[in-house]
Amino acid sequence: MAAQPFLEISGLHKDFGGLTATNEVSFSMGRDEIIGLIGPNGAGKTTLVRLISGILHPDRGKIRFKGKNITGKKTWDIVNMGIACTFQNMRPFRRLPIIANVMVSCLSPRAMKRGEWVKKVEAKAMDALEFAGISDMALEKASTLSQGDLKRLEVARAVATEPELLLLDEPFGGLSPAETDLMAKSIARLHKGGRFGRLHSEGPAMIIIEHKLAQLMKIVDRIIVLDFGTIIADGTPEKIVANPEVIEAYLGEGGV
Amino acid sequence: MGLPGVYFRRTVKVLRTEVLVLPSRVAVLVFIVALMALPIFTQDYYFLRVLILTSIFAIFAASWDLLSGFTGQMNFGHALFFGVAAYVTALLNLKLGLPPYFSIPLGAVGGVLTGLIVGIPCLRLKGSYLALTTLAFPIILTGVVFAIPDITGGELGLAGLSRLTGSRVMDYYLTSGLMLILGFTMWKITDSKTGIILHAIREDELAVRTAGVNTTRYKLLAFCMSGFFAGVAGGLYAHFMRLAGPSGLEVGLSFQVIIWAVFGGMVTIYGPIAGVFILYPLMEILRVVLDNFPSLPEIRMFIFAGLVLLTLLFMPEGLIPWVRDKIETECPRCKVRNVFSRHRCRVCDADLD
Repeated sequence: MAAQPFLEISGLHKDFGGLTATNEVSFSMGRDEIIGLIGPNGAGKTTLVRLISGILHPDRGKIRFKGKNITGKKTWDIVNMGIACTFQNMRPFRRLPIIANVMVSCLSPRAMKRGEWVKKVEAKAMDALEFAGISDMALEKASTLSQGDLKRLEVARAVATEPELLLLDEPFGGLSPAETDLMAKSIARLHKGGRFGRLHSEGPAMIIIEHKLAQLMKIVDRIIVLDFGTIIADGTPEKIVANPEVIEAYLGEGGV
Repeated sequence: MGLPGVYFRRTVKVLRTEVLVLPSRVAVLVFIVALMALPIFTQDYYFLRVLILTSIFAIFAASWDLLSGFTGQMNFGHALFFGVAAYVTALLNLKLGLPPYFSIPLGAVGGVLTGLIVGIPCLRLKGSYLALTTLAFPIILTGVVFAIPDITGGELGLAGLSRLTGSRVMDYYLTSGLMLILGFTMWKITDSKTGIILHAIREDELAVRTAGVNTTRYKLLAFCMSGFFAGVAGGLYAHFMRLAGPSGLEVGLSFQVIIWAVFGGMVTIYGPIAGVFILYPLMEILRVVLDNFPSLPEIRMFIFAGLVLLTLLFMPEGLIPWVRDKIETECPRCKVRNVFSRHRCRVCDADLD
């Protein structure tokens, strides 16, 4: 029997009223891949990620994760199986301190089971913040954070569940060039796996939605291009840049 | 030096380093001592009655804060838990002859079950839709109460429950003691890990789900806990008044509890308790004072409404958080609270000015 794909998506279809957001999308990915998901606005990238994380439920099609069918499961069950996601428009708990924001993730059944030897949830949350680089602001209210720090908080919250598949929705959105580089480095480091203090990283596979292609190209192995809910190209970054259909739909003549 | 000496020294140390450094903690200490010592100075029947009812409603208001303030599940029909527990307590006492110390906890269990029954259909609702739906439940139940007068006593309710305890002073200690214990319990719950998740659900439910937490379970838990504490209040009320009637399900009571909580300061637990302790006795004083001027029209509610409106206009967070911000400052570095008169933080020595 051939090895089971890590994540397998087949015929995923979602309509919003008359609008088709994802149209019979099928692809599969391996355990160690980082996939970049690109495409024009409204192409269905965020919808696809939300379908995988169970925030939305598909009309048709199947999602299999590590051989198990997760279609239609509750979001928290999917997260506890090892898929974490971040939001494009950050959704922090604004009136809570930053450390408490991350503690919610650390209190999920998955995180509690995996870090049994860590007695204090606070310690683990602190390490997630340390990884994201905002531990010095742990006691500040989330409402006081800047855009870039909010992105980091999103990542810290997702990482705290110790995922095996991480869905990042525009991790570089609204960041300055320096912050973007820093974030790209964090992502690369996370993918390598290992320990960050008391926090364990599985070296998660990732699906990254991003418009800043230059940075994205550096960290991904493979790019999937969506347009009007359909996959129009799938391949290595070099191939995608040269693909005439992608240039027509998204990149434009200037290239990257 | 014996063991008592060690405990005494430790108590004094905690008092000196933890309690006396903050005016809000001193205020709580003074409040508790005053509440406990009051019967030494007066055992006036009417006076104690007002304070007993105040304590009961304080538990009730705090339980509303636990559900609607902390978890953000806006409940406009909180009297449901109170009324159901009062009826359950009364039925158990009258039909089965259970004494108060059995019937009140069982009444509170009735409150928990009511929380489940209301909570499950309300899981998908948010904000004003949830508020309107919860508002309907006690109104529906009032109709049911009137429809089966053989069991519920109809409009008159169930009267003749056994007394809470033998004497008024004992009633006072039971209710005020329970109020302090349950208030402290609720405050501890909101301060715990469960409390953080409840907080987070109020802020953004979807984000809590993507953090891997089963929000349905925690929302139901909040409904049940709130139902339990409100149920204790309802049971105490039924035994103290020796009556459980449809007035315990009234819309007016549901709104009263919201006014108390918002006036005192939501999302604090101690705010609603303080709100009841200010507003309820004030209304009784106004009643007594205004009775001396029979020519005046009924302006009691008018004064009450004006007071609450003015408070909320100038202190939108509620009275207690406003006062607390005036007498204490938060250290910008370590977030520990300090007396307003200090210039340097008492823990990390950061500059407070």
